[in-house]
Amino acid sequence: MSTDPIILEMRSITKEFPGVKALSNVSLTVRAGEIHAICGENGAGKSTLMKVLSGVYPYGTYSGDIVYQGEVMHFKDIRSSEAAGIAIIHQELALIPELSITENIFLGNEPTRWGAIDWITAKKTALDLLARVGLRDDPDTLIKNIGVGKQQLVEIAKALNKSVKVLILDEPTAALNEADSQHLLDLIRGLKGKGISSIMISHKLNEIEQVADSITIIRDGLTIETLDVVADGVNEDRIIRGMVGRSLESRFPDRTPHIGDVFFEVRNWNVQHPQVAERMVVKNSSLTVRKGEIVGIAGLMGAGRTELAMSIFGRSYGNFLSGTMFKDGKEIQLRNVAEAIDHGLAYVSEDRKALGLNLLDDIKRSIVSAKLTKISAGPVVNDSKEYAIAESYRTSLRIKTPSVDAGVNKLSGGNQQKVVLAKWMFTDPDLLILDEPTRGIDVGAKYEIYGIIQQLAAQGKGVILISSELPELLGLADRIYTVFEGAITDCIPAETADPETLMKSMTSARKKVQSI
Amino acid sequence: MRKLLTTTAIAAVALMALSGCSTRTDTTSGSSAAAGFPADSLIGVALPSKTSENWVLAGGLFEDGLKAAGFKGDVQYAGASTTVKDQQDQISAMVTKGAKVIIIGAADGGQLGTQAKAAHDAGAIVIAYDRLILNTDNVDYYVAYDNFKVGELQGQALLDGLKAKKPAGPYNIELFSGSSDDANAPVFFNGAMSVLQPKIDDGTLVVGSGQTDIKQTATAGWKAENAQSRMDSLLTSTYGAKAIDGVLSPNDTLARAIITSVKAAGKPIPVVTGQDSEAESVKSIMAGEQYSTINKDTRVLVAQAIDMAKVLQKGKTPEVNDTKSYDNGKKIVPAFLLPPVIVTKANAAEAYANDPKLSPLTK
Amino acid sequence: MSAETSPRGGLRDLKKIFGGGSSNVRQFGILFSLIAIILLFQFLTNGLTLSSGNLINLVSQYSYILILAIGMVMVIIAGHIDLSVGSIAAFAGIVVATAMQEWNLPWPLAILLGLVVGALIGAWQGFWVAYIGVPAFIVTLAGMLIWRGGNQVIGNANTVPVPDGFTVIGSGYLPEVGPFTGYNNLTLLLGLVIAAAVVLVEWRARRVQKIMGSDPAPLWVSILKVVLLDAVVIYATVLFAGGRAGTSFPVSGIILGVLVLFYSFITRNTIFGRHVYAVGGNKLAAELSGVKSRRVNFLVMMNMSILASLAGMIFVARSVASGPQDGLSWELDAIAAVFIGGAAVSGGIGTVTGSIVGGLVMAVLNNGLQLLGVGADRVQIIKGLVLLIAVGVDVWNKSQGRPSLIGFLTRKSKTGEFPSEPPAVIPTSGTPDSARPSDNPS
Repeated sequence: MSTDPIILEMRSITKEFPGVKALSNVSLTVRAGEIHAICGENGAGKSTLMKVLSGVYPYGTYSGDIVYQGEVMHFKDIRSSEAAGIAIIHQELALIPELSITENIFLGNEPTRWGAIDWITAKKTALDLLARVGLRDDPDTLIKNIGVGKQQLVEIAKALNKSVKVLILDEPTAALNEADSQHLLDLIRGLKGKGISSIMISHKLNEIEQVADSITIIRDGLTIETLDVVADGVNEDRIIRGMVGRSLESRFPDRTPHIGDVFFEVRNWNVQHPQVAERMVVKNSSLTVRKGEIVGIAGLMGAGRTELAMSIFGRSYGNFLSGTMFKDGKEIQLRNVAEAIDHGLAYVSEDRKALGLNLLDDIKRSIVSAKLTKISAGPVVNDSKEYAIAESYRTSLRIKTPSVDAGVNKLSGGNQQKVVLAKWMFTDPDLLILDEPTRGIDVGAKYEIYGIIQQLAAQGKGVILISSELPELLGLADRIYTVFEGAITDCIPAETADPETLMKSMTSARKKVQSI
Repeated sequence: MRKLLTTTAIAAVALMALSGCSTRTDTTSGSSAAAGFPADSLIGVALPSKTSENWVLAGGLFEDGLKAAGFKGDVQYAGASTTVKDQQDQISAMVTKGAKVIIIGAADGGQLGTQAKAAHDAGAIVIAYDRLILNTDNVDYYVAYDNFKVGELQGQALLDGLKAKKPAGPYNIELFSGSSDDANAPVFFNGAMSVLQPKIDDGTLVVGSGQTDIKQTATAGWKAENAQSRMDSLLTSTYGAKAIDGVLSPNDTLARAIITSVKAAGKPIPVVTGQDSEAESVKSIMAGEQYSTINKDTRVLVAQAIDMAKVLQKGKTPEVNDTKSYDNGKKIVPAFLLPPVIVTKANAAEAYANDPKLSPLTK
Repeated sequence: MSAETSPRGGLRDLKKIFGGGSSNVRQFGILFSLIAIILLFQFLTNGLTLSSGNLINLVSQYSYILILAIGMVMVIIAGHIDLSVGSIAAFAGIVVATAMQEWNLPWPLAILLGLVVGALIGAWQGFWVAYIGVPAFIVTLAGMLIWRGGNQVIGNANTVPVPDGFTVIGSGYLPEVGPFTGYNNLTLLLGLVIAAAVVLVEWRARRVQKIMGSDPAPLWVSILKVVLLDAVVIYATVLFAGGRAGTSFPVSGIILGVLVLFYSFITRNTIFGRHVYAVGGNKLAAELSGVKSRRVNFLVMMNMSILASLAGMIFVARSVASGPQDGLSWELDAIAAVFIGGAAVSGGIGTVTGSIVGGLVMAVLNNGLQLLGVGADRVQIIKGLVLLIAVGVDVWNKSQGRPSLIGFLTRKSKTGEFPSEPPAVIPTSGTPDSARPSDNPS
């Protein structure tokens, strides 16, 4: 295998965003006809690397070389990489639901005859391609009428039509069930037999172990190692060690927890997907929070962490099915966000820009926006109080801005996050749910936000901390729940938790929930 | 604080002193008609939107005529979609500019009371042109063709045409009237009905659909499409088997729409009346399709309105020939009425002899 | 640090007329455009534009469009549009006119009836928009047809006259009282009250700034601002008070003024106002902050219809009759005013005062062109181009990442006074200890 010729080589790729170095000297070597997996935590730089390769970040916005079939390539957009034979299939499928399979396959690449689309040729070719990916549906079927698994296959057919040599799959099985996943993996293996190389990003380590020939592990924007699955005898534990192997020292402020009694509890929580009724996004989950405690929730992307948090926060996600909630010993029902806020809950969303802030607003208005009644006389907002409160948070949280009159869109990610935290601290909550509070934030600001979180706990508030970064959870949380496929799989006290055990519980449902 | 107030007060006094020329006087200014006004004064003409040939023609005639008389003319048309509001604003602007006489061809005669009052208060004389301005004391004169007479002539023409076509009745006819927001529409209709009603009562005429009320026969907005679609429905509902002999149409545009509808239904063309002497209708009459039209020469009417302005300029009272018929709801408006002329194929050449545009069509 | 928190400089302070928000720069530019257009026409019409008679005309001719703009800006801030306002105005007008003619309803009650009709229509449309989720564009397009048809059904496509008492709201003026001064005394009084209010507001603003511990702008800036504003107020007062006998400041202008103050306050200073901006700026974030977005949408749509019915009644009062053409294409005038006044099509941005200035730009343009004797056809072309250019310049500037010309000037003056970047209080990275919050528990 390792004697196959090298088809693609990425040499010392470095890619910077304002304030963040996403990739630093990353190298990747792919041989012809192999399946090459890329592993790493969320935010390690996998997707960025693939975007560089596929021309989403065009030549010139990164440093380093892409050598493909012996030539240095200068891709200026996706079209140019596709023309060379490199196709990317994104996590969110790029298909148009109201068009047919044929129309989607040939979208932007329609065969024409005298200026008109030649549907006969198109349909014939489509049938061929569908046969190659093992899909027996009528090519006139609309995309919206076939399942996600089949849609994934149509995407691959679309790539094959462009005579692809390197296929990039970003979390291809994330949305698929067991049978569909297996079919897809078989197909990728089949393509390998026809000389097509695949680069696969996946969190499902068992799948990687099953199909990959070699694995490159990326961590914090650096290439850690490249493993040959057969020669190095790779298994899941080996991969996890590579992914999380990082020292945790001195990244978190010191803290002595003062943990009180359980004051918040959720029992047997069940929530359906808002559109797809048969899909359960939260399954029979129970958790408890004590006063002054930081409770971590660990889970991979799509495991149902955010869904759980938002459904607790006034049923703001999904269709609530069943479950009970207790606060301070009394059962409570939170039917909407306003009630959740009134009962002392706060939720800092993972998507700051889409869900956390009104980017058109200024800082002072954003800070008071979740509890305007607190600074109002009847319906009238008191501007002076608003200003004074915003000023006090600016000082105490060290929000870096010339004025609280400035728009939040002018702030850096870290300072925006501080505004969001201030907004929820202003509601004076008993329980704060923080969903990825440090995503996309530089190291200095992260440290400050850790300090704020610990401070909130020290004031006796309960904190639920959702994070994809295991070191963050291990460094901050007193107790960590793991979530897999909508269900809580484990609850591990911080003293006994380590990245390996967490990762195991996050990637399988092997343990029973222990209630504490 | 005190400093601010002082500064403001000083500024206030200074400004008052500077601009201290109030335009108002203690006594309210009466009508300036008795006194006359300078010969080069501004005369405003506010016309509705350019929906028919006549209004377009009138605008040009006013501009030339006012210029020839030595006045400064300001001729304005309302926009097509916002006629009422445009006209209101245009009249206000004319008042501001100090027009001495404002001649108004109203888009909606019922909605100009405030502007007429403002014009009057500013000392301008308001002449209603062709369409009466309603519900206000502030309209001085009305100049128009005798519209009741127009209706009578249309009714008579319909009878004559039917008799010429078929010596004896009963005749099947249908009635059309104009837009219900136009004060002239009922005048035309009532004039025609004064001739037709006796014949309907004695059975000579039969209105097939039974629709004889003005509300049933109205054509919203004077729009051809509305007349055409009503005729289409009448033909389908009433004239499946029997023939239609005549149609009373209040003007030429609607007459042609009615003929189009009948043709489309594959029926023989009935006797159709009209009004306004539009070029297309004159052609249609010469071709033997439309039966009649009315010649209300816009030249004569415009000339009459300008003559009134000239008389007023000298401080005299213009001549009127009707001081009792035109009650606008608030007062009887003194009117000068011009006689209309009925035109059929027989007298067309004679009637349009002096019209450079229509005369060639009759040859 | 506090020096940076308070805006300084005459220009920047003047911008405060328009309240907070990031659309300041834009609206300031529009105010300058308005002044420029007024001066241009004042020159072209030999002083007719700023004559008593014309100013009075201007206010009574456009007050109802401006009233619509107030409601429309709130609808647009919330991320919707309302195409039905003209038809609702016509419908409410005909109902009120018919009620007074047929049932001899006293006119104050008729006005109340008109507002109730507006509220009911608004509740109907708001229900579809907020609770069923039909886009406002569709709901109000339907409303445009429904209420226009309703007008014609009730009025038989006829013009229905209204009694004299009712016409006060559309063509009435402040009455003559007191001794003869050569001016309308009530208008003078009104002007003085406004002039005094300008002083008072500025003085209070300074006091509040002092209490909050931020340095207010230098005193001379405040004085200059007050003197300039009061000069405008007094000049306008003299013009309005000194018109032809029997005319003075129009009643419809007073209604407009009260509404502008009221709705500026609502949008700027109340919880409801904040919620409107929040829903339009980011609906999901607003909902996750406990804002009941459906209620907000419902109320915004309902409010628009109430204002539309009021505008309709004022027009009917001015026209002394309700007709089938009332309100035709008003929605377009109102929407144009709002966008010229700096609102964003995508919602979340806009102010009441900005929209009023935008509406005045259109009004002065229309009026000035009419005074010049430009035909209605050409006026439409010019208005269309002005709308396109005003919004186009704004969009282009945004895409270029730089503010408008005026914004550029004011920014320069700002950077001249103090550094644009504040000194960093804490390093963004580096040794964690230096970045540790001081009151960190240990």
